[in-house]
Amino acid sequence: MKPPPFAYVAPSSLDETIQAVASDPDAKILAGGQSLIPLLALRLANPTTLVDIGRIPGLDSIEDGGSSLRIGAMTTQWEAEKSEAVARRVPMLASALKHVAHPAIRSRGTVGGSIAHADPAAELPAIAVALDGNMEVRGPAGTRSIAAEEYFKWPFTTSMRSDEILVAISLPNTPTGWAFLEVARRPGDFATALVAVVLRMDGNYCSRARVVIGGATTTTTRASGAETLLTDTQLDDRIIEEAAIQAASEVELTSDLHGSANYRKGLVHRLVRRGVTDAARSEP
Amino acid sequence: MSESQIGSTMVAVSTTINGVDQERVIPARLTLADLIRDEVGLLGTKLGCEHGVCGACTVIVDDRPVRSCLMLAASAHGRTIRTVESLATGGELSAIQEAFRSNHALQCGFCTAGMLMTATALLESNDPLDRAEIREALSGNICRCTGYETCIDAVLEVATQTRRDEE
Repeated sequence: MKPPPFAYVAPSSLDETIQAVASDPDAKILAGGQSLIPLLALRLANPTTLVDIGRIPGLDSIEDGGSSLRIGAMTTQWEAEKSEAVARRVPMLASALKHVAHPAIRSRGTVGGSIAHADPAAELPAIAVALDGNMEVRGPAGTRSIAAEEYFKWPFTTSMRSDEILVAISLPNTPTGWAFLEVARRPGDFATALVAVVLRMDGNYCSRARVVIGGATTTTTRASGAETLLTDTQLDDRIIEEAAIQAASEVELTSDLHGSANYRKGLVHRLVRRGVTDAARSEP
Repeated sequence: MSESQIGSTMVAVSTTINGVDQERVIPARLTLADLIRDEVGLLGTKLGCEHGVCGACTVIVDDRPVRSCLMLAASAHGRTIRTVESLATGGELSAIQEAFRSNHALQCGFCTAGMLMTATALLESNDPLDRAEIREALSGNICRCTGYETCIDAVLEVATQTRRDEE
């Protein structure tokens, strides 16, 4: 189907963009369009105006800050996937990006767009939460930073105000151990379940754990009970299994035509077990 | 911008498609696919699902494969587009087209334009390719007829020949 009629504007600055969005509550930002245009084509969204931010300079740079990477919101997923800075500082992101749809989608889809869209079955929100990323957000009142965990509150909704725009994502360098696992019906599909694990390891001793679940859950969720079990302890198969069981029981699971809640519970259990095992073993 | 509405429902778009400059004033909601097909009259690019999952509409924009059904014509302003019509020159099939023909990589032909443009972009990347990588790259193009193996054969044949030519 074709998108419904809308007005179109392509501002050349963030200030113009914020003005446009603030003046029309039914306006929608157009970044890469790989999530928005399908919504329009399927008539699931009906904005009055599309504000195309593709002509604003300076939103697509990747800056290596030494201990963290600042990725401009309009960086395409393909650019991020190929970036040497990403491979060096945040290899988990490069790995997860390979699971995002298909190359043609990644040519246009943006890192910021996927994050602002906040699909619970998407890879990038889970990566942002697992890495304790920060979202740099600009509004009429200026710029503020929102921690990833505060940013993804509900499915397809972020904690940004309606007159704010995501400008960049800051990701700290990935510490010693990470794993990203996804189960989908076909490569490129949205995840039936995905798990992002980040551990700080010293030999077998884990001093910090992030276990983030997506795809199977109503929203991108930290399995904090599982994280507690893994923190400040020597990891072995028994502890990892306990944490996996805990993760699968504590998150709110979805049920739909791609999988029942019960099926997804099994997936979460196995993916967390494998993810934590892999992360604990991985080299820095 | 008028007081009551920001932006406008009609947009002036200027692109280069297959080496030819095209200027149109079109509705903002017109996709690049519809610009290519309905405005410029290049019907090689096909519409399958119109929501980005089948790959039939794949074209090359500034050297990258893109779903033309998921790009507004307005967003293509100032960009360089290549469609399937750009592959053959002077009536001669390109290497990938000839490989598709000789490997029986098409039957009904509906997915073929999208397959060819995905393959063309892949081959232009000049990365070394094996069957698994080609399969991965073509996995975004749905084909109901061939079972994909002959498509992979065709791409591998061109990739291998190109490597041989370079040595």
